[in-house]
Amino acid sequence: MERMRTAAVTGDAAIELVSVTKRFGQVVALDSVDLAVPPGRIFGFLGPNGAGKTTTIRLLTGLARPTAGSVRVLGRLVGDGDASAIGRVGYLPDVPAFYGWMTGEEYLLFAASLFQLPERTAYERARVLLEAAGLAGVRTRIAGYSRGMKQRLGIAQALINAPDLLILDEPTSALDPIGRKEVLDMIAALSGKATVFFSTHILADAERVCDEVAILDRGRVIAHAPIDEIRSRAGTRIAVEVVGDAGAVERAIAGAPWCRGTTREGARIVVQTSDRAAAQRDVPAIVAAARAGLVRFETVEPTLEEVFVDLVGSEA
Amino acid sequence: MRGFAPFFVKEVRETARTWRIWVLPSIVIVFAVTGPVLAKVMPDLLRSMSGEQLGGAVIQLPEPTWRDAYAQWVKNLTQVVTFALLIMLGGTVASEVRSGTAAMVLTKPVSRSAFVLAKAAASGLLVTATTLVGAVLTWAGTLAVFGEAPIRPLAAPTAVWLAFAALVVAGMTLASALVTSPSGAAGIGLGLYAAASLVSLWGWAVEHTPVGLLGAPAALLAGERPPLAWPLATTAALTVAALVAAVVAFSRREL
Repeated sequence: MERMRTAAVTGDAAIELVSVTKRFGQVVALDSVDLAVPPGRIFGFLGPNGAGKTTTIRLLTGLARPTAGSVRVLGRLVGDGDASAIGRVGYLPDVPAFYGWMTGEEYLLFAASLFQLPERTAYERARVLLEAAGLAGVRTRIAGYSRGMKQRLGIAQALINAPDLLILDEPTSALDPIGRKEVLDMIAALSGKATVFFSTHILADAERVCDEVAILDRGRVIAHAPIDEIRSRAGTRIAVEVVGDAGAVERAIAGAPWCRGTTREGARIVVQTSDRAAAQRDVPAIVAAARAGLVRFETVEPTLEEVFVDLVGSEA
Repeated sequence: MRGFAPFFVKEVRETARTWRIWVLPSIVIVFAVTGPVLAKVMPDLLRSMSGEQLGGAVIQLPEPTWRDAYAQWVKNLTQVVTFALLIMLGGTVASEVRSGTAAMVLTKPVSRSAFVLAKAAASGLLVTATTLVGAVLTWAGTLAVFGEAPIRPLAAPTAVWLAFAALVVAGMTLASALVTSPSGAAGIGLGLYAAASLVSLWGWAVEHTPVGLLGAPAALLAGERPPLAWPLATTAALTVAALVAAVVAFSRREL
């Protein structure tokens, strides 16, 4: 599929990858990736397992170096020794690891000390973030935390410096439905205040909060666009509900030149079409020719999941 | 060295609140407390084994003195405590990399050099403080048991061993920064120590390299004057070199 991009590599992006390749021996984890994330966006970084999402995040955070190409975060080249950008970034890895002998509050205060926050600010932020993470009053050492508690503490520590850029690697994967909703609400609340770059394989999460997404597959960005645009590019689907011989109607629709595929559940036929106008014009006639009656005719917005499967599947 | 101070404080607190506080200090303090007592009773124990148990043979032993108590201390430092250090320090850097805590810290304003050097400094502080406490306990115990405990014969071997321990700390920091496994790093340390013990059979190495510090504490206690200038100078140089190498190696590593 043709690559879709809306954010040019401009140099003023919050995140900018230019021709980034990362190899591990003979394995190409990232293959000449170009990506620009504009400031203030909630950016979803999607891809199946092994696509290269975590590798990309390790490059963004300076934990690894690209084999070729350049990585800029908040305008600064990653790995050039300039600390000004790293102080404005919050990061949550996919499996956050803490010092088990600390309490949650101690870890947040430790993180605050690394950012050299004034003591009063550190205590105040730690209090607010522990409250938001549902960990206020928890005196247990982190070693005794559940995975969900660690994940919530991980999000709290990523916010301790009030970052301009928040990088989250699968932030909701270990959370229960309520915790997931709270985290997504928190991410949505940052819209316009900070740039949020989060990787996920939970497409419903990206669909819920993202302004813009990129889809990575086998180390290549196969799509990058605002979420509405990416949906519309995936083609239109039309749902047709009939009375009469729905099977005959489906077979007739499948033979139309604009039809890319059909699925049927009882009397409801979902049609994938490359030309919505032609479908709107022809379907009523096809239904009438099959001596069936038209009950409902509507356009169906594709879900991100359907787009994702379509894109990743077409690259296979 | 961005972030050195807060990370060093964390390291010291971690030492005080985890198993680290029990391992090295426990070993050193137990030896320090029991050394003078053992030195006092050992001749009696051996004499009690004579007679019937040794087929009528009689063991002739001189009366123990403060020097025997100090000899126990020196022997324990140069053998058991050194081995404990080599094993304990294997995880200095590697355990944080392996657990993922290093990645959490190094994505904040903490440079890799600060990370490595804060760890080495905290290890050095623990070793120094523990050794000094152990030396004071040995001195007090010796005074209590033997009624005499000169300071200089205890201080000189202890100081020389501390110089060697600084090299052990730096070397183990380097080993731990190079490999991902704490036990692998400990293995490297133990291997190098075994190699150094073999090299100590070579006179030139004893006079000019850190190998000379292996036997120097016992020699000083015995009233000898072992060559120290070159071994101390090369130990200091190698300690600095190992720390620089640890910083460079860790800075190049991908986490």
